[in-house]
Amino acid sequence: MIYLLLITPALTLVLIVFGFPIVRYSWLSLHSYSVLTGLDVIPNTAANWVRLLNDDRFWQDAIQTIRFSTLSVSIELVLAIAIALILHQKIKRRGLVRALSLLPWALPTTIMALGWRWIFNTPYGPLENILNTIGVGTFNFLGDPRYAWLTTVIADVWKTTPFIALLLLAGLQSIPKDLYEAFKLEGGNSNQSFLRITLPLLEPYIILSLLFRIAQAFGVFDLIQVMTGGGPAGTTESLGLYAYLNAMRFLDFGYSATVMLASFILLVFYCLMLWILLSISKRIYELII
Amino acid sequence: MKKKKIFVIILLTWSLIPFIWQIYTSFSTPDSLLEPFFSLKHKWTIQNYLQVIQADPPFFRYLLNSFIVGVLSTILTLVFAIPASYSLSKAPKSIATTTKLFLLTSSLFPYVLLFLSLLEIARSLNLGNSLVALSIPYSALSMPLALLLLSTSFSDLPIDIDEAAKIEGLDIWQRLRLVLLPLIKPSIASTAIIIFLFSWNEYPIALTWISKPNLITLPVAVARIAGSSIYSVPYGAYAAATVLGAIPLIIIVLVFQKQIISGLTQGAVKG
Amino acid sequence: MNNNIIKKVSIKVFRNLLLIFLVIGGLSKSKAYTPIVIDILMPAPFIDSTKERVDSFNKENYGKIKIRTTRGPRQTESVSDLAISSLLLGKSDFDILLIDVTWLAKYSEAGWLIPLDEFIDDKEWSLLERGAILGNSYKNIPYRWPLLADIGLLYFRKDLINKVPETPEELLSTSVKLINEGVVSYGYVWQGRQYEGLSCFFLEALHAFGGGWIDSQGKVLLGTKPSIKAASWASRLIESGASPRSVTNFTETEALQAFEQGEAAFMRNWPYAWAELNKDNSPVKGKVGVTTMVAESNGRSVSTLGSWGFSILSSSNNKDLAYKAIKYLTSVQSQRHYFLNFGYTPTYKSLYKDKELRSNSEILPILQQALNRTEERPKTAIYAQISEVLQKQLSSILTKQITPKEGMNLAKSKTLKIIESAGSI
Repeated sequence: MIYLLLITPALTLVLIVFGFPIVRYSWLSLHSYSVLTGLDVIPNTAANWVRLLNDDRFWQDAIQTIRFSTLSVSIELVLAIAIALILHQKIKRRGLVRALSLLPWALPTTIMALGWRWIFNTPYGPLENILNTIGVGTFNFLGDPRYAWLTTVIADVWKTTPFIALLLLAGLQSIPKDLYEAFKLEGGNSNQSFLRITLPLLEPYIILSLLFRIAQAFGVFDLIQVMTGGGPAGTTESLGLYAYLNAMRFLDFGYSATVMLASFILLVFYCLMLWILLSISKRIYELII
Repeated sequence: MKKKKIFVIILLTWSLIPFIWQIYTSFSTPDSLLEPFFSLKHKWTIQNYLQVIQADPPFFRYLLNSFIVGVLSTILTLVFAIPASYSLSKAPKSIATTTKLFLLTSSLFPYVLLFLSLLEIARSLNLGNSLVALSIPYSALSMPLALLLLSTSFSDLPIDIDEAAKIEGLDIWQRLRLVLLPLIKPSIASTAIIIFLFSWNEYPIALTWISKPNLITLPVAVARIAGSSIYSVPYGAYAAATVLGAIPLIIIVLVFQKQIISGLTQGAVKG
Repeated sequence: MNNNIIKKVSIKVFRNLLLIFLVIGGLSKSKAYTPIVIDILMPAPFIDSTKERVDSFNKENYGKIKIRTTRGPRQTESVSDLAISSLLLGKSDFDILLIDVTWLAKYSEAGWLIPLDEFIDDKEWSLLERGAILGNSYKNIPYRWPLLADIGLLYFRKDLINKVPETPEELLSTSVKLINEGVVSYGYVWQGRQYEGLSCFFLEALHAFGGGWIDSQGKVLLGTKPSIKAASWASRLIESGASPRSVTNFTETEALQAFEQGEAAFMRNWPYAWAELNKDNSPVKGKVGVTTMVAESNGRSVSTLGSWGFSILSSSNNKDLAYKAIKYLTSVQSQRHYFLNFGYTPTYKSLYKDKELRSNSEILPILQQALNRTEERPKTAIYAQISEVLQKQLSSILTKQITPKEGMNLAKSKTLKIIESAGSI
């Protein structure tokens, strides 16, 4: 009984903060609640959802969010595995190296986003400066739809790779050394041991960090707001930013709630798809190896 | 051996170069930033720092606000999370697993999507513009991770210790305070630091809950100055602000790197 | 024994504390009345420019009224976000907001502002220049009293060109010519980033080609021939090299920076740039001229209206005093001060005839001329959405994602869709 008493406050808090919004959004998404209704809540059945289905901007942002999450998380994962393998070996001043490589993760996103915005600035930023000096020409990173979203990916990769690397490092450290020795005795080389031992045993860690990062990347907001504000041509706008704009700039809370709920549903779908894809590729992997 | 060294150097360069660039910018005069690199005309200055420090409200105010919120949310979270995770570790396995799954899902939730109803809560309960109130959603948001981390450490303790203390006649509070807490101190430390970092860095909720300029936290303050000024591009001042804003975190990371890393990795291993 | 001591000590402490409180209370009562505080939120730059006037108001009303200003962010949209947060959080901390012309419809529709017609009569409005009267009312009710007028202007380097271009084509060809001659590296710089400044730039282009954005009947004029012409002109500016490619990421700041460094021959910007360009350390001091916007012969030369003004919040407890403060901060005397020290465009007619001002500044006649050609952006509570649609399509056109024709047609259909889901404009 006392145990129940001890756990209730904490769980209630979690339930209020995570559960209430879902309920509230579901209700709001069936109502008009905007500056045009004088900030009164008026039922409008499914008008918000119909609007959402026809809203190009929402779908463009959905595609952008998925594109952003997929690319940045993939790069992060590959880099992180490499970094984890290196850090796993004995190196000098391992603590210091780890602490320094963890810095990008620990800094507030807005701070680093501001830094990156200046680095990619045209024409005075350092990158354009270097490229101009060596004669490559102007790229117009933040003003060109082809590059702008990639710059946000780079900033995100920079920030979160060390975090994943550390998670994977923990995984590596949990693999018993004897396994490798036994494998060596059987005549396997180090490439094979990576594929046969390291990767399969690392799998839970990879899955976990994948899930964690995908969810975070899906909610990308600070980075985009500060670095590009959603432009150029709306190509970097994320779902989080669109929901924010609907509420705080357009004062359309009913629609904002709809966008948020829809984003959440999309995220669940995306994770399911990913899950299926991962299981299939795991099967194939097992067949090949 | 050589290869490894090169790799480590690349890794560190990649992590630190944007930061070094900010430091360089923050000490440059506005005019020299418009010149190509290594220009002879380059001039150094501390004007950018003076500008940031003497602004109204002074920059340290934001650091202080972030610090206050960070400390309050950490304390609040731990006060709730420690007893809760203890009882979670005592719960029957099926219940514990379900709860943990629920917590894991919550911790994965992209919380930026919560800001609208949190704003509504703030309005109806009159919680806006208060650093104390801001620490409530923060601690709720960090609760899932805190519960996962702490309940794992509680489960890792040998059962006998708790049982023995019970037989000694200690009640649940005494057992927690005198016997169990000292044993999971390292875990508490790393949980606390991760919560602190989260609260220090949080942006969307701080953005919507605080509208008084002298109460805003560091990330919001930085994003606000990011908006282009009408008169010139004060990149030097931006850079100075980012450097000042980063210093406390650099210290925290360097001092507590062991706790941070063990906290993060434990969360991954056991969570 | 022990307890007794504690009791005695605590009684003593309590008594002393009580005494201290009484003394403090007595002191504060014996002082003059505590003044009623009027809180104003303004973007950071305006805090500095109004400081002297605020101080003198507080001196004149010492002990009675005190204006307390709150420094908002610099960027227009961030100020709006801050103001909206404070309004959404319940009772706002402010009595007065300094608001941009584009927020007026939204704020008054939300019921956050009070109508000012009980304070201001027609006679008072008639003292203002035409361009300063515009942008203060919504549905024919005034909600705002202007602090300064603001209009789009064309800046040029009078040391580099003989004849000021009058049509968009001339502007383009002169820019290209100057670049080819190696005189400047950029020709014409403007606001091409996807943000509100792009809408301001384009509104002028639309009218220059004889078109418009949304007319007074609420008809969307995007997608028409003039709009396509305007969009392709903007796109050709970049294509021909008349404007740098990076102009698609330029705000006022970047444009001003390039122009001030002597890298550009023409610039679209607001009046504040004049003072900045003629500062002592400015590389182009004395070499700059200002004129009104270019236009085709069948179009109209217009300047986008972008003014700031004070509104009183419905939640304010001291509306009369708030109005008194507004009048003081925007008086003829204040406007003169702002113009001479910060280059703010005056709102009162009388100031344009003022000898001292005229002798002090060569651009005053041009400002007046531009004020009389000023054009408002659509006045609707859903302006932000509509403007973002336009910005996004323009940005796509300028970065060669789609053709001007496709872009303008898309802008039209998307604008119509937004109006439809809003129910009306």
